[in-house]
Amino acid sequence: MIPYIRAREIGLTFRPKNREPVRAIKGLDVEVGRGEFVTLVGPSGCGKSTFLNIVLGLLRPDTGEVQIDGRRITGPGPERAMVFQEFGLLPWRTVLANVELGLELRAVPAAERHRRSLELIQMVGLTGFERHYPHELSGGMKQRVGLARALATDPEVLLMDEPFAALDAQTRDLMQTELLQIWEKSKKTVLFVTHSIEEAAYLSDRVVIISARPGRTKEIIKIDLPRPRDYEMRLTPQFNDLKLRIWETIKEELLVRAG
Amino acid sequence: MGLGAFYDQHPRLILGVASIAVLEGAWELLLTYVVAYNPFFLTKPSLIAAAFNQQIIQGKLWKDIAISSRAFALGLALAILVGIPIGAVMGWRRRVEYALDPLLTALYASPLVALAPVLIIAFGVGLTAKAALVFLLSVFPFVFNTFAGVRATDRVLINVVTSFGGKERDLYLKVILPSTLPYIVAGARLAIGRALVGILVGEFYAASEGIGFAISQFGDTYRLAEMFSGILVLCIAAVALTEALRKLERVVAPWSAEQTSR
Repeated sequence: MIPYIRAREIGLTFRPKNREPVRAIKGLDVEVGRGEFVTLVGPSGCGKSTFLNIVLGLLRPDTGEVQIDGRRITGPGPERAMVFQEFGLLPWRTVLANVELGLELRAVPAAERHRRSLELIQMVGLTGFERHYPHELSGGMKQRVGLARALATDPEVLLMDEPFAALDAQTRDLMQTELLQIWEKSKKTVLFVTHSIEEAAYLSDRVVIISARPGRTKEIIKIDLPRPRDYEMRLTPQFNDLKLRIWETIKEELLVRAG
Repeated sequence: MGLGAFYDQHPRLILGVASIAVLEGAWELLLTYVVAYNPFFLTKPSLIAAAFNQQIIQGKLWKDIAISSRAFALGLALAILVGIPIGAVMGWRRRVEYALDPLLTALYASPLVALAPVLIIAFGVGLTAKAALVFLLSVFPFVFNTFAGVRATDRVLINVVTSFGGKERDLYLKVILPSTLPYIVAGARLAIGRALVGILVGEFYAASEGIGFAISQFGDTYRLAEMFSGILVLCIAAVALTEALRKLERVVAPWSAEQTSR
């Protein structure tokens, strides 16, 4: 299989003024097949969000390169869209206008972006809230807007930076299940970042475990569980075995940091 | 509609009016029944109302109001046109901030009304000097609030717009400007108060017409009720402008107006 996203030998050091440089990632390799759901997990500060921003094209790596479909990326592009951790909604825009943002920036005609946005608002279950402002929505609803906004531009790759971290546990479970349903329908390639082992195991085809800072690829674990997956699957022994494997790999890294 | 229902719908209006009515009533009663007052030093609401009726309703002060309004509008418009761009550039360019911040902060903090005589020497008695004083007093809230607004712009939103292919122009129009707007409106609220002081001081110092001139004339001739009717005009102007601003905020920044009114 030729990977759709191929990130090789990615390294990035932050050099803040008047402070010690921070080596965020070093030698990170990730490959994602077309339509695959891959999740990065690792201890906090391991550079997984930084890596996602590199793939998005907001940050340039010092070493290595990211290719998508064989082309090296140099900046943001229409084939990629991000779902942000703290939602990143524009507070002065209604739900509809927020979902339209990406289409607007790509100069899609008003009628077309309207139609497309309404379609996605329905898909994420927010029909009736088109004219609401973000501050009138719950966290779960805000992230539905974030998801609809990313999907509106019809990207090949969906990048998700701890999208459910700010949500309460029940909303989170619900959103995970809905994300899987949307993903199975749309067949997007997903690169997902989380610090939740459970979330990684539940959603992914493969889980990439990143080492403690500077982050590099430590291990890749294939999640060989049947799809479609549902909440009950999380109670099976196979699922818990996988969680344990991921946990044990991450634990070594946590101990490295502590020691 | 019963009184209770009317109250439930307009608690802000009713409580606001009520506190004014109580103060005026107490003032009136105190001077009518309790304190034997000398009309050279004190006056009371009923006399002010009569003077207000005479001066305003019958039109003697209108000319002064029109003259003062011109200087007020001119100075304030200039403050907006100059203050907002300076604040925006200071917020966006670190070096401009470093260069201008100490200077502007010093000016903002100092009692600029002291410059009134200088302005009158420079521009003569009349519209220009008054507008200049209004400008000097009201420009700083626009500068500093615009600066704070630009600086407070959420980096994440810049990233969001960039990631969807936004260019620098999009960042200004779709993120920085709307995120700064509520700060500018808050600045305008401060600026209006300072601009009214500017008009008044300008006309106290040197003028032959205008509301400030009228107030100081009445004061000098011990016509207290008339003097207060002039002050009342300023109060009404201040309240009306602030209310207009609140309405404007609801139109241009509904997301923040709703949050702050709660």
